[in-house]
Amino acid sequence: MLGINIVVVAVLLAVYSFVIMDTGLLGVAISLALVGGVMVVYSTAPQDPTTNFLLNYSKNLVNVLTSSLEDLDLLDSNIWIARRSDTTLAVFSRTPCIEDVDPGIGFSGGSPYIAIPIEVPATEYTASVESSEDVERMLRSLLIDEFSICRNVDVSYEDGLYRVTVIGLSSSLNEFMKYPLDPYTVITLATISRVLGARCVKLVGRRSIPDGVEIFVKVEKD
Amino acid sequence: MRKGLYIFITVYIVLTDIAITALYLLNEKRVDAYVAINILIYYTSYAITRPSIPTSRVRFLNIALLLLFIAIVGYRVYEVLTR
Repeated sequence: MLGINIVVVAVLLAVYSFVIMDTGLLGVAISLALVGGVMVVYSTAPQDPTTNFLLNYSKNLVNVLTSSLEDLDLLDSNIWIARRSDTTLAVFSRTPCIEDVDPGIGFSGGSPYIAIPIEVPATEYTASVESSEDVERMLRSLLIDEFSICRNVDVSYEDGLYRVTVIGLSSSLNEFMKYPLDPYTVITLATISRVLGARCVKLVGRRSIPDGVEIFVKVEKD
Repeated sequence: MRKGLYIFITVYIVLTDIAITALYLLNEKRVDAYVAINILIYYTSYAITRPSIPTSRVRFLNIALLLLFIAIVGYRVYEVLTR
């Protein structure tokens, strides 16, 4: 609103400068309009006033999850995405890609698992498995344009592995990188699963790099 | 408002105010000088504060301002060469 007000004042000043034939004042008016325009554009950036609260709330939930993983001896387990017809689940289990997984804590083949239903707003379409461009485009659209939580995303496909390099992590989300599950990994896994239409996508590794993170993903079941 | 964005807007507006007031008091009559200085201040503030708001609109604004700056400088260079 402030930006629009500045633009309106700039237009009035420009009209006045035309009337008195002062090009210097016209320069001031155009400069003012530019300031207003910049403010209008930047005011559209995501800035939810409840962000701090949500971060705190998320940390508490992640602590609960970490404690549960510790109790079930799943801290060094496999993390994978199970895609069902109606839900997408982030699963921690000893054996990856088990068939009968339900949301919550359960047992399959005698070993425990934790399955968390997740939602990622990605367009549903099926690309070929080796199409890293489609994955990169979708991840950029989500991580940069939609959520603004990083500066750049690069995806490459080598030897059956997707290497997703996320650069310029959001400072408020950096703290989540020390937990078993962080927002970048969840979104990356779920997006790859949805874009490729894969039923099981497994996290192979996660490595911190300067100002970013590298996530290695393998598609186990198409 | 995010802290980085708040600092960027503050630095940009303060520097723009100082520069534009100075230009007007120096009786500068070229409109493009005001715009070019403003764009230069925008990029300087952006580089100093790094607000890291990589939305598509901000990217579009950055590209538009850069093209405008190139056009202004190009026009001035052309003017000098053909004088």
